[in-house]
Amino acid sequence: MTLSRQIGSVWFWLTASLLALLSLFLLYPLAHMLASSFAGGGGRGGSGWGIFLSDPKYLTALGNTVLLGLSVTLGAALIGVPLAYFAARYSFPGKTLIAVLPLTTLVVPEVIAAQTWLMMFGNNGLITRSLGDVGVSIPSFYGWFGLTAVMTFIYYTYVYIGTLAAIRGFDVQLEEAAQGLGTSPNTARWKVLVPVVMPAVLASCLLVFTLVVGNFAVATILGGRVALLSVITYQAFVSEMGSDPLMQSTLASVSIGLVAAVLFLQRWIVSRGRYEITMGRGAKPQRLKGVSALLLALAASIVVIISLLPLFTVIAGAFTRARGPVMRWGEWTTLNMERAFLNAPDPIINTLIFAGSATLISVVVSTVASYLIVKKRTVLTPALDYIASLPLALSGTVLGIGLVMSFNTGWLTLTGTAMIIVIAYVIRRLPFGVRNASSTLYNVPNSIEEASISLGVPPVQSFFKVVLPIMVPSIAAAAILVWTTTVSELSASIVVYSGGKETMPIQIFRLIDSNLMAQASAYGLVLVVTILLPIIIATTIFKIDVFASR
Amino acid sequence: MTIRVDRRTVLAGLAGAAALPAFAQDPGSVTIYTSNNQQAVQAITDEARTKLSGLKLNFITGGSGQLLRRMEAEAARPQADIFWSSSANTLGAFKGLYEPYASPQLSAIAPALRDPANLWTASNLHVVVQMVNTNQLAGQPAPRTWTDLFNPAFKGKIIIADPANSSTAYTILWGVRQMLGADGLKKLAANTIVTSAAATVLRAVAQGEYAIGLTFESNAYAYVAGGQREIALVYPSDGTFTSPEFLVLAKNAPNAAGAKRAFDHIISKEVQTALLEAAFRRPSRTDIDVAKIVKLPNMADIKLFAINEDEAAAKRTEFLAEWAAAVAATR
Repeated sequence: MTLSRQIGSVWFWLTASLLALLSLFLLYPLAHMLASSFAGGGGRGGSGWGIFLSDPKYLTALGNTVLLGLSVTLGAALIGVPLAYFAARYSFPGKTLIAVLPLTTLVVPEVIAAQTWLMMFGNNGLITRSLGDVGVSIPSFYGWFGLTAVMTFIYYTYVYIGTLAAIRGFDVQLEEAAQGLGTSPNTARWKVLVPVVMPAVLASCLLVFTLVVGNFAVATILGGRVALLSVITYQAFVSEMGSDPLMQSTLASVSIGLVAAVLFLQRWIVSRGRYEITMGRGAKPQRLKGVSALLLALAASIVVIISLLPLFTVIAGAFTRARGPVMRWGEWTTLNMERAFLNAPDPIINTLIFAGSATLISVVVSTVASYLIVKKRTVLTPALDYIASLPLALSGTVLGIGLVMSFNTGWLTLTGTAMIIVIAYVIRRLPFGVRNASSTLYNVPNSIEEASISLGVPPVQSFFKVVLPIMVPSIAAAAILVWTTTVSELSASIVVYSGGKETMPIQIFRLIDSNLMAQASAYGLVLVVTILLPIIIATTIFKIDVFASR
Repeated sequence: MTIRVDRRTVLAGLAGAAALPAFAQDPGSVTIYTSNNQQAVQAITDEARTKLSGLKLNFITGGSGQLLRRMEAEAARPQADIFWSSSANTLGAFKGLYEPYASPQLSAIAPALRDPANLWTASNLHVVVQMVNTNQLAGQPAPRTWTDLFNPAFKGKIIIADPANSSTAYTILWGVRQMLGADGLKKLAANTIVTSAAATVLRAVAQGEYAIGLTFESNAYAYVAGGQREIALVYPSDGTFTSPEFLVLAKNAPNAAGAKRAFDHIISKEVQTALLEAAFRRPSRTDIDVAKIVKLPNMADIKLFAINEDEAAAKRTEFLAEWAAAVAATR
């Protein structure tokens, strides 16, 4: 298409207006913040990079972060992909439960998760002590062992969800065709299923990697002496006298660069082979019986139960009597729940309103954006594509500070309003929605839409009548992913919120930071329910088969 | 023609989001930026429900440096009415953000615990202790002095927060350095594990992850009061250190009148007593008998080692580097 024809098209202007919105709420704050931090650096110019390269502490932290990112991503894929495959293709005893439960791990605050694991494997943990009694000593949980184990069991869910959606969308007729042409079932699966599902797996692996790079909660509790980029960046930021903005922006740039590099790599791999398949019928789950069914169910439940341990702690903690920070395990009470609902219900109400608005906006924006990026390429598309994935490379803290600095005064004053929280949510989770929606779009052939247009239906109507219905399952999945991660979002909202507008994660963070586990668990439990309720309604009342529970 | 459908959807979504939660700032509320924990905050809000009618206290929580920088960023359109709390060495770097205020309550506050120009006033005083989990001492007697911590048997069993992020840890390590010199600091570093968050120290000792935590009396005593019998507080007999928690009125506070009411409220006798009972914060007022209300020693019975706050602030960068080198040398 020539440039003049592009400018005449509806899609060009839609792309341009999305770009304008993103520039205002994402690029401008980012530029503003980086500029100010350099200005505040006392004119030392590029010496931040000099310090970064000369002090081994920083390079070690970078190396550790990459290593941790890779090992957690690998671990998460090794758990998430097989689990998704079995959940999509087989039915076995207890599958309904096993298919849905991993989602709950997304909602347990990471701090609580880390604490729970310490109760098991810490220096004084239950398992550490009982193994010690029989003469087995396990390596210290502080450091690599704890970091890798805990993050893997928190983050495999993202791989699981991403892969599950892709396998469900895969047309099993392709596999059957390959078999019909004389390929053995296993080879057919390897040669046909893998290339089609791979983009989704890579996309979710990328997500896990970025989450590990940005993770602060687990890193700070379990890091021990392993220096990590997120922790030293945060330390540079929080360092009380505020005298070190240069290192803070340098370190922030390093983590942005690191994620950008991985993003680039992932894109390159996806672009090497793009497969379009017709949405035919998905595979019918194969019923397993006998020993293999039991073994499979057992393996899956072990994984799920381990990842659910923190959830059990939350439930027990919410109903356990506490005196200050001391938990009286075994003494039950409903006092914590009463306090959450009667004395201080604001965090609950705020969370519902803010996250609800953000999810709504997110779904619309990311559906339109992913359609534009995948199907309606113009000269502006590459810019939209990269800017829409930029939030992946930003930690919530960086985004939050940028928004506060940029919209504190002037024609658009947002600090002190709830709007700024909603904007922070939408921007932060934009890549989630876009990635989820677009991974399915790659599998929608252009020919369907072209057929509609050639039959006389205008392009935009064709989108609504032909493409949108195909996208519905992935939009629903994106909506739920955005909702779950927004409801539990902490690092950006804790920077931009103002008095009286605290959300549940903020309140939980405050309570845990004050070591009030019981009260924190009460809000934690409400948070879990808040996240699960829409999923249950979606799957049971609206019969949206988001998680392949049948 | 058809594009409108789509744009309308987007706009409707945006407008809906804008209209729903953007309630205006409530004139009957005061916003307090605080680095304090929830026990302390709840003590103040519980009292406020009956004592401050018509005034709602909203708290924003964060690290003291982080919150002061946020106030700096918001200076053109301040959001905070009150900042509570930090030590003088941190507050000194942000003097432009405060409004001097001579509260009517001031006469009851010890002169050493307030700024001569009334830029800040202490709400309470922290005392440094060694928080000991007696189950985890592995047969060793509990420490009684700072030098007892150099015992090789305690290697890897002592935990402290990173002084770069925690003013608590900074106060403690600066004090140890002044009392026992560079050599003493190195010996302590050799036995100590550093964690990045101050709250972790308390959790870790209470959970038995570590035997000894270096922290403030108020936070550690919560575990004793909660009934955890293996937790003991040691006030080192060779002297310990104190750190006042200062309260500050924000310049151009959005609700200046309400802020002054809240300020007076926080340093009133009732609230300081409540803070002592619920959060074990030692009052800055001279008219409260601590040992009568909680099982904490009176100040007169604690041996103190005086530290110079101004010097501690001035030599910050240098001292953090010395500590970092001492920690690095033990690896």
